[in-house]
Amino acid sequence: MSCLPGMPFAVVCEQRSRYFVVPLVVGISMALPTFGADIDSSHVLSGRSAVGIEETGTQLLDLSWRPKVQWRFEDGGRLTGIARLRFQAEPGTRPGDIERGSYASISRPALIGDNAELELREFFYERSLGDWYLTLGKQQVVWGKADGLKVLDVVNPQSFREFILEDFDQSRIPLWTVNAEYAFSDRSGNDWTLQLLWIPDQTYHALPKRGATYAFTSPRLIPQTPPGIDIQLNDPQRPVRVIRDSDAGLRLTGFLDGWDLTLNYLYQYDNQPALHQQLQPGPTVVITPRYHRTHVLGGTFSRAFGDWVLRGEIGYFTNRFFLTDDLHDDDGVAQSAELSYVLGLDWSGITDTFISGQLFQSRLTNYQTGFIRPEVDTSFTFLVRRMFWNDTLTTEVLWIVNTNDGDGLIRPKVSYDLDDNLEVWVGLDVFYGNRQGLFGQFTDNDRVLLGVKLGL
Amino acid sequence: MHTRIRFILAWALLAPILATADELPDGDEIASRVNARDEGLAVARNLTMQMTDRRGKTRTRKTRGFRKYYGDEKRTVIFYLEPSNVKGTAFLTWDYPDIDKDDDQWLYLPAMRKVRRISASDRGDYFLGTDLTYEDIKLETRISINDYKRRTIGESKVDGHHCYLLESIPVDDETARELGYGKVVQCVDGEIWMVRRARFWDTKGKPLKTVYFRDIRQVQGIWTQHRIEVENHKTGHRTLFLFSDVDYRHGVSDELFTRNALRRGL
Repeated sequence: MSCLPGMPFAVVCEQRSRYFVVPLVVGISMALPTFGADIDSSHVLSGRSAVGIEETGTQLLDLSWRPKVQWRFEDGGRLTGIARLRFQAEPGTRPGDIERGSYASISRPALIGDNAELELREFFYERSLGDWYLTLGKQQVVWGKADGLKVLDVVNPQSFREFILEDFDQSRIPLWTVNAEYAFSDRSGNDWTLQLLWIPDQTYHALPKRGATYAFTSPRLIPQTPPGIDIQLNDPQRPVRVIRDSDAGLRLTGFLDGWDLTLNYLYQYDNQPALHQQLQPGPTVVITPRYHRTHVLGGTFSRAFGDWVLRGEIGYFTNRFFLTDDLHDDDGVAQSAELSYVLGLDWSGITDTFISGQLFQSRLTNYQTGFIRPEVDTSFTFLVRRMFWNDTLTTEVLWIVNTNDGDGLIRPKVSYDLDDNLEVWVGLDVFYGNRQGLFGQFTDNDRVLLGVKLGL
Repeated sequence: MHTRIRFILAWALLAPILATADELPDGDEIASRVNARDEGLAVARNLTMQMTDRRGKTRTRKTRGFRKYYGDEKRTVIFYLEPSNVKGTAFLTWDYPDIDKDDDQWLYLPAMRKVRRISASDRGDYFLGTDLTYEDIKLETRISINDYKRRTIGESKVDGHHCYLLESIPVDDETARELGYGKVVQCVDGEIWMVRRARFWDTKGKPLKTVYFRDIRQVQGIWTQHRIEVENHKTGHRTLFLFSDVDYRHGVSDELFTRNALRRGL
């Protein structure tokens, strides 16, 4: 394993990373009083247990401790550290069941045995400098207006340890980022913010290993081979040049005549690797995941109209790769630009009730014969949420459906605040439909969940 | 006694009473006096909310809030500081004087990491688990002019202070539905033009809640309430709002009333 030269923070090799993270976590979690009065610390302890419905037995047992410490300096600056110690007992969802080659060594969580991992989730310094606001360090940058599915929320990669079932706040992988925001007003007095991002962190989506509980099997995502042909999966060819392979982006945010607007641009390596394939004697299909550059151009909008909120986002990806079964194709993947967009409508016309619907569509503008996925892929989401007992009891149902494959996911959930800092909840995750589809591939993974979260 | 003399005596006895009734200020006049009261151009303050259910279990929220006027436009922001499961939650509203223009409101939920636009028509919804609605929170000490028809129905006393009883009825059924109220009777202290008690009825005419505004004293020359007690008669739920560290003098940065500030927190 190699060390990465030139990083401004924590230049460590992977084998040393746990020795870097552990003292840092201990330091920030103990909120050392010797730093003075301007220290604020908090902790979240959470546990989740899931029992399979089709395949009975415990599917998930997840315990985590998330300490957060914030130092405030006299110049107005703040230093924030968030760590996560996570224990997962059940095979298939343990830390070792995730491909770790997609992480840059400075961002990779440290494994502690087979069942636990320790991760420095966020560690950043922020302060204002005149009209500028700087946030420097490991952080999450969230773009977009969509719920449940993502179009422009692609600045940070994601862990698919539990597909899309885990809260995005926890599944999003924070990156070492220089984040500078400049606030200004136009001639009409409208306020705007220009955000500039530089991300010298070559970390991408963390995907489950073959055989893991939420390993991808859909032909849309994984090459299919006839019986008798072996598959060999190579380590991903991850970009490693810290400067030349860094990502950069900008976002212009404004408020105009009641509309919240953004224009977004990102030059990044697509977080999802292209699975280049080669048939070798054996016969064996050798799969080599590679990451490719893409430009992302997009924008978002939202506005309230009485009881309604209209929101949407659009993203154009210039260079994406998709699986193909075209016999003339030499590596099983083909390139196309992709236009993705979402249109959402929220309604709050009934007291304490929130109803939301979204249309997602993805279009390939250079669709070619042999592409496994459809040229136009359409999904809908519906969310109904109602609060009771002065917001102590929350009930909700989220339904995501893909109309191309006729598959989907239904997620009812009831949560109750037992105390100021103690929340318990129970929920169901039910996949249905075509096993070749994005959701249907997990039809055997339906589960009942019980969760508890304690804040300290 | 001569009839004429009896009439004069009766008039002499009744005249002060009738005169007092005649002198009760008009409902609209009371409302405009309340709304004309000096609230300061800007204020910063801490607000602790204690919410108690009918079984006596109490939840506590600590917040820091800011309010500033831009002409007739009012901007308000509240940042949640404690407990940890709601820490970082922030709520921003831009309240426009034009009644035909909806307010703009945003909510930041740390778990989502997004500033979310929310509908200003949720004004009858209860504000984040308390017994005041979004509209109540927005109005603060002011009285909504356009949503109600009002009249003065008498006088009373609250905590030893004389006040005028101001009855307000929503202008139509749709407004009543939006607000969640069928009638409001406020007891307005005519000395300082502040509401000391408000009683609310639901749209079916049943008692809904009673609100007491207490510990009213001057801060930097401005009459300021430091304690609001709300009891919901339907649910038995109560909320106690405690204001502290109220500061009108030191100014409030415009930057606090932005979506960037919601995301960054205090």
